[in-house]
Amino acid sequence: MIFSRQNSELDKFGEMLERSLIALFQERGELMFSSSPEKQKRQIIEYDGKMRADGMEKFDNEPTYVSAVNFYASEKDMEKKKTLGALIVYVEQAYLPKLMRLLKYPPVDEESEDAMKDSCGTLCNIISGRFKSEIVSAGYIELEMSHFKNFRNSSFEGIDFCYAEYDLIELACNIDKGKRLVIEMTMGAIPKQ
Amino acid sequence: MMADSISKNKILVVDDSDLERELLIEVLKGAGVQNDFLQAKTGEDAIQLLGTRYKEIGLILLDWQMPKMSGMEVMEAVVKVPAVSNMPIIMVTASGTDENKKKARVVNPNLVGYIVKPYTPESLLDVIYPFVELKKE
Repeated sequence: MIFSRQNSELDKFGEMLERSLIALFQERGELMFSSSPEKQKRQIIEYDGKMRADGMEKFDNEPTYVSAVNFYASEKDMEKKKTLGALIVYVEQAYLPKLMRLLKYPPVDEESEDAMKDSCGTLCNIISGRFKSEIVSAGYIELEMSHFKNFRNSSFEGIDFCYAEYDLIELACNIDKGKRLVIEMTMGAIPKQ
Repeated sequence: MMADSISKNKILVVDDSDLERELLIEVLKGAGVQNDFLQAKTGEDAIQLLGTRYKEIGLILLDWQMPKMSGMEVMEAVVKVPAVSNMPIIMVTASGTDENKKKARVVNPNLVGYIVKPYTPESLLDVIYPFVELKKE
């Protein structure tokens, strides 16, 4: 089938993501957002069959770290790279070490690009893992999750996504009275258990 | 015998995230765990360490999601080798669903623990206490 059905429940998954994010940050570091995350639905910008992920535009052209994971409906789909969803985490470079400290991680070597990428990937991994568990709790099947990929400023090759989808949910999170963390999520229709 | 003189008191921490490995070790040391630690950043490194230093290792803390060779694949390899097949393994993963726990126990019925990231120091220590040496008060 060339055209599959668009996910009519994307907003619902956006709510699940918001819930899981707030719970995760409270549990991990008793970290509170300055205000509720700003949630909006936006169109996916696609090029070459991939989803655009530009970090600098999220933070007024400030250097940014970007990490992404993909979701799949099954191990077989994962092997075939038949992507169902994507979750991308953007954190402003200047705030990343502080954010990790607030989440009770050991100090990050700010001079090391690898260490900074690793931190952003670690954050993306725990957010995605929690989101995945929230999806299962809501009665959907267990998704497979890829390992995280890390980038500085933007991903030149783009991020895999489900071709049936046109929209993504963006969550912009205010911490310490400023926008510090942005998450984008797109998801195809997930079967119920 | 040489083998007897080497105590199996090292904990092998396998995680591709440097920060997660550091955090785990920091929490355990902070709680008074006296064991030494070995670290592996990939599943392949873990297998190599197990191949050469298995006599020193008494516990494996294993991340699930790693590039190339996942934690599950590492565990599959470990249970097939008699010399290490009974080594206690605790999975440490961002995905805590029952389905995943079930899968892990199918691969390794002797899996001794399953810790979900982000974990609290207390929940980590609850699982790990039976397998570590603690500083005497």
